[in-house]
Amino acid sequence: MALALREKDVARMRRILLELLDRSESDGCVVCDSGGYVLVQEGRGASDPLLLSALGAGVFAASRELARVLGEDEFSAVFHQGERRSIFIRAVNAEVLLVIIFSNTANVGLVRLYAGPAAGQMRGLLEEIAASGEDVEHAERAFVLTENGDLFGAGAPPHP
Amino acid sequence: MSGSVSAISEQRVGLRTVGRGSKVGGSSPAAGTEDMSFVNFANREVQLKIVYYGPGLGGKTANLQYIHGAISPDARGTLTSVATSKDRTLFFDFMPLVANAIEGFTTRFQVYTVPGQVMYNTTRRLVLRGADGLVFVADSQWNRMADNVESFANLEENLRLQGESLDTIPYVLQYNKRDLPNIAPINYLDFLLNNRGVRRPSFSAVAVEGQGVFETLNMIARLVLNRFVKTHARREAKESDLVLV
Repeated sequence: MALALREKDVARMRRILLELLDRSESDGCVVCDSGGYVLVQEGRGASDPLLLSALGAGVFAASRELARVLGEDEFSAVFHQGERRSIFIRAVNAEVLLVIIFSNTANVGLVRLYAGPAAGQMRGLLEEIAASGEDVEHAERAFVLTENGDLFGAGAPPHP
Repeated sequence: MSGSVSAISEQRVGLRTVGRGSKVGGSSPAAGTEDMSFVNFANREVQLKIVYYGPGLGGKTANLQYIHGAISPDARGTLTSVATSKDRTLFFDFMPLVANAIEGFTTRFQVYTVPGQVMYNTTRRLVLRGADGLVFVADSQWNRMADNVESFANLEENLRLQGESLDTIPYVLQYNKRDLPNIAPINYLDFLLNNRGVRRPSFSAVAVEGQGVFETLNMIARLVLNRFVKTHARREAKESDLVLV
């Protein structure tokens, strides 16, 4: 499943997330894949989306294994409750997750209620995108390495 | 056994919001020669995943800790360890690194370690998912040879279960703890672990002191980048062929 999101696709993804944040009164959300890659983020809840995605993907993968232990196909959602803020993770499809961050002034029931349809819309959108993914311009696929030297070293900043 | 999530540094690598530009591309869990990277054309960013694998107490986490401590804060993010109360890796260590390795793109390497202890195999499989490159960290001590071999076989098996193979995924070997007295010679470690026809790059290391750490990282980064560029170039060539026909 190769993805190639065009501007209109991205706009649609963001609309889905904004609507979810608005209706559920959540702070932010990140869409990531099961390997921990960040696909898209929205809102102000995720100050470190890379880490959130890495841990979220790990937690959700672990929950899938727990589901198998219980004889379930999977747990479709995982909820972590904190004193001030909480996280709700919902599967979009087998490879993509929706991670929602919300303060405890929001209602987890609302988050759960609206996460389902949002995940469904996102799933449909990703299927559309996958189906039309060959429209990527060739120029966009030309990747050239900057140099052959070492990328990393003690105290070395990123190459300019 | 209690688990904990510890953030060793608060320094973060900023992530630009996806979706401001024209395109976002990604790839997925296809098997074989398909690279697993994620490309964000909207903000000109490539994400690549490197996993440090090997037997327990071999020095995987020590590699990341040394890199985190030595590298410029501009080039790395938080090192997060999901560890037991005794500082044994329970789930994984995670650290993002950033570089300008591809013209016009910011390259983000997401670096993970797996828990080395035998009982955490399910977790190792989860962390291994979507890896673009691997570092196998072996313990050079004679009394760890069986653990090295077992872990390497475990890696091959876990890759096989995911439709991957060491024949296609870039990897390097690191022979760690070369400062200890009871270590096996390099050629014996090669005989045990680097014997798959095409010999892979291997490095002697003392990870806690940084010896061999960046050499290992730079080599796997280069291999992963070369594979990434070749894969996309090949794909482009195929599309061009279709146009010509």
